[in-house]
Amino acid sequence: MKIEDVVCTFCGCLCDDLVVEVEGDRVVSVENGCTLANKKFMGNNRLKTPIKRDGGNWEKVGLDEAIQTTAEVLLDADRPLLYGWSGTHGEAQTIGVHMAELLGAVIDNTSTVCHGPSIMAIQEVGHPGCTLGQVKNRADVIVYWGSNPIEAHPRHMSRYTTYADGFFLKEAFHERKVIVVDIRKTETANIADEFIMVEPGADYALLSALRAIVRGKGDMLPLNICGVEREQLFRVADICKSAKFGAMFFGLGLTMSRGKYKNIRNAIELVEELNRHTKFTISPMRGHWNVYGSNEVFTWISGYPFAVDFARGIAFYNPGETTSVDILKRGECDACLVVGSDPGAHFPRDCCRHLAGIPTIQIDPHVNATTHLSRLQIPVAVTGIDAEGTAYRMDGVPIRTRKVIETTYPSDSEVLEKIYQIIRKETGS
Amino acid sequence: MFGSIVSYIREFARREWIHKFLFAKTAPLTTPVYSRGFPELTGKTCTHALFCMMACPAPGAIEVIHLDDGGWEPRIHTGHCIRCGLCVEACPNGVLYSGRILESMFYDNTMLSFSFRIDVDTNRCMGCGNCAVACPVNKTIDAQMSHGGRASTDELLLKVSEGKCVVLHPEKCTGCKTCEQQCPNEAIRVARLLEAVHAPEEEL
Ligand code: SF4
Ligand code: SF4
Ligand code: SF4
Ligand code: SF4
Repeated sequence: MKIEDVVCTFCGCLCDDLVVEVEGDRVVSVENGCTLANKKFMGNNRLKTPIKRDGGNWEKVGLDEAIQTTAEVLLDADRPLLYGWSGTHGEAQTIGVHMAELLGAVIDNTSTVCHGPSIMAIQEVGHPGCTLGQVKNRADVIVYWGSNPIEAHPRHMSRYTTYADGFFLKEAFHERKVIVVDIRKTETANIADEFIMVEPGADYALLSALRAIVRGKGDMLPLNICGVEREQLFRVADICKSAKFGAMFFGLGLTMSRGKYKNIRNAIELVEELNRHTKFTISPMRGHWNVYGSNEVFTWISGYPFAVDFARGIAFYNPGETTSVDILKRGECDACLVVGSDPGAHFPRDCCRHLAGIPTIQIDPHVNATTHLSRLQIPVAVTGIDAEGTAYRMDGVPIRTRKVIETTYPSDSEVLEKIYQIIRKETGS
Repeated sequence: MFGSIVSYIREFARREWIHKFLFAKTAPLTTPVYSRGFPELTGKTCTHALFCMMACPAPGAIEVIHLDDGGWEPRIHTGHCIRCGLCVEACPNGVLYSGRILESMFYDNTMLSFSFRIDVDTNRCMGCGNCAVACPVNKTIDAQMSHGGRASTDELLLKVSEGKCVVLHPEKCTGCKTCEQQCPNEAIRVARLLEAVHAPEEEL
């Protein structure tokens, strides 16, 4: 059976035009999706039942027992951490936040190690952004700063930016200019009109230089700014200023390099400067398919987008203090529930060591690096394949993901709801 | 030294030498009919089929220029042209001529046939879809493809399936190489195959 308009739940592009063919409880082919989508839909190495660590071995346990154990571990803990949430649907995230509130836990999502700095900068100076639909229909200048969409968001350029024909751009890539700024010549740089190779850690200086040029103060700049010729920056500033509509996208190359959220603030202020000449927007390239959703859900319930600490009975947010990495580094948390993410693969060594030392429980369909740090893992349905739910695309557009096959796995929200109900009963709320 | 100068003057001052020098009898320099010069325009209308550019083996030798009146016209850059005449043979509208190429094509009833071979290196391809969305032939077949990479028909030349670029109808390719130029991973290559064939009778 062929199912049309299937949503790919891999990266923040959240492509909703896939055609998948299913036979029974298996996906047999995927059309229109990139290699990553194909691997996601066709993958068949799922964990079959919940597993529990028993000394050096794993033993199979029943779902109800696993759920009961999870609730008990969280109830016993003094400072539980509920981490992840970017790889699950909004409904499950909602239960997560309510659960954190009841437990007085810290709830944090993967923004803490990716676009947290972007959010902090946006909290300071605002977000002159737009949807990808606007970019596709209007933008004639595209800037990728510190991001390599070809590897991380393969269809970003063909679906939303450079190559897609839009309402005002009938000859898409002939009419659009692409500027790439990165520390190495990436695949995206191969097809850029202008490639600026920036020295690692020099993004802030470069952004400031561009701001100066756009402001008309370019003459006071040195001839070479952190390894980049001033002439090239003049040229790039001209391209940006003469755009009818420009769109800048930035990735972890900007958020996680020296300067962190100050880089993003500077980039936003450059865009503000450009808006004196033309229309220009800026948006983060969100990685996980629903990391934007976790920020939305956290914010609409608690007021804060990530790193929310309920220990005081109220929501408290202080990045650097209530962020997962810091909590784990300080050895503060004494139980951790990981949902829809793989901190074992992304967190610093100290943090992983601490996770391995405390009862860490993972809710995830696959065996991954975090499995090796966990004491219990509950496999669930994959949202977008055998579970449905709402997700937010990287530009904040909510999209309902679809269920294409029937399996016996429970969804994230079903499992979390059961844990939540036990916690409610035990805490008498 | 003085001696050799004298002997030179004596040699050139001979009556016979001066006579031969001034009244040499060689055949007059005329261009033989079979010579191929740089291609020139016949005056027929160029339809921007770009077959000439496709056929030309010399980089930068021929370009099709957009005229002010909206038409098109091939322009030969003589510094680069090697006068092979392939463009003359390739043009379906007889816009160019050079030597007797057009006449001999007419009498021999030959024509150039093009085909293109598209190779996708699936190890390099990320399935990003840039090629399929940018391909100008795809654009005329399926607007959904050119507006964001959704294949709505199997009539397309290229599409992304199973996470890789697949070639569905290589016979529709015009060899423009857009896909090759826009692929970020050097995963797709277009090779031009050029063959002289006997034209079918009705096309004579
Ligand atoms: S670009 Fe991202 S959302 Fe789109 S098909 Fe590829 S992995 Fe899926
Ligand atoms: S004669 Fe040959 S080299 Fe010269 S423009 Fe034509 S095809 Fe190119
Ligand atoms: S060379 Fe062929 S397949 Fe490639 S873009 Fe041109 S027409 Fe399309
Ligand atoms: S061949 Fe190149 S452009 Fe086409 S889908 Fe593959 S990687 Fe992308």
